[in-house]
Amino acid sequence: MPVRTLTAALIVAAVVAAPGAQSMTRPGAPESFRANGQILGAAGGAATAIHIQIDKYTSDADHAALADALKQGGNEAFVAALRKAPKIGSLKVGNRSVAIHWAREQAQGGGRRIAVATAEPVFFAGAGAVDAKPTAGYDVAVAEFTVDSTGLGKGSMAPAAKVKAGGPTGVEIEDYSGKKIELVTVSRNLPGK
Amino acid sequence: MHVHSACVQRRIARGVTAMIVVWGVAVGHPSAQGKPRKQTAPETFSARLSVGAQEGRGDAYVTIRVDRYTAPKDIDVMEKALKEGGSAAFVVALKRAPIVGHIEAGNKSFSIRWAREKPSDTGRVISLVVDSPVYFVGGGVPGAKSREGFDTAVVQLTMDSSGLGEGRMAAAAKVKPGGATGVDIEAYDAEPVKLTSVKRQIS
Repeated sequence: MPVRTLTAALIVAAVVAAPGAQSMTRPGAPESFRANGQILGAAGGAATAIHIQIDKYTSDADHAALADALKQGGNEAFVAALRKAPKIGSLKVGNRSVAIHWAREQAQGGGRRIAVATAEPVFFAGAGAVDAKPTAGYDVAVAEFTVDSTGLGKGSMAPAAKVKAGGPTGVEIEDYSGKKIELVTVSRNLPGK
Repeated sequence: MHVHSACVQRRIARGVTAMIVVWGVAVGHPSAQGKPRKQTAPETFSARLSVGAQEGRGDAYVTIRVDRYTAPKDIDVMEKALKEGGSAAFVVALKRAPIVGHIEAGNKSFSIRWAREKPSDTGRVISLVVDSPVYFVGGGVPGAKSREGFDTAVVQLTMDSSGLGEGRMAAAAKVKPGGATGVDIEAYDAEPVKLTSVKRQIS
């Protein structure tokens, strides 16, 4: 099963970052982003529009609690802690809107790297196949993207994922389909949009 | 990509497809087939499969190979099963019928056990029934409806005399008795699956 470590790097980086690391002169929450999601398979592909609303970013204290839950109790404890965390935004695909319970940003070059997590899956990519594997255990969704100083960027998303402790960074993201959804043409909405 | 509306149970009485099923008996006899046509089995079609909804759009490319069209006696058996035993009996009869072709999507292949063609003013209308579902469109949404009973897939192609056409597909379907024509096709798909750029391959 493919394991993604991109987001893991951010999670770990956020743990070790000093509290002041979140204090940035760049645009911060509340803010929203639009992205076009694309996924390709053996027979074809699919595309969708995604809207991400971030009302505020997760505090260092709340983040530390989540990271500790993962470290101590694995995916199950992490999901439980994530569900208890306050709703701080939403991730919307079509008519389906799922609450964001974790969001972090990190300065990168002249822009930012942003990651969000929901406490329930958004979509099981490929689960419509006749021989699709069980969906149990893939209880969260994780999206990660970068934006430059003008608010444009790209990223990826695991619409149904399992978070595990382990790997080189200490955190592994296993997505259901084994194929990430590419987030292309990510753009930060102008205030009020 | 289809997402949210899969939760909505949608029963589709596809009259045209149902008529094709009924036509099976009528057009199956040699006298009803008219003069021999240049285009018939074995033949292969390529098509682009599209699903569009508010949530997004998905496309795939499929190849449909019809080795031969189903014999009238086999159609009779399946129709009788449907009429007397309902969906379950139809599926049993379908799976006992000879394989007459395949639908290929990516690295997957699905067996066609019902294939009929009917002349139209501009070409042909071809109906195909697969002995298993091809894909549960909308099945990836958390809380998607049950897949139970959607044991087949149904395809209809409308081809012109030059070998070009279009079509539609119930990628997971339940064939039931009822409706005006005696046959109902209930599709699992919350959104219609369209076949565009259908092209008969030159052999």
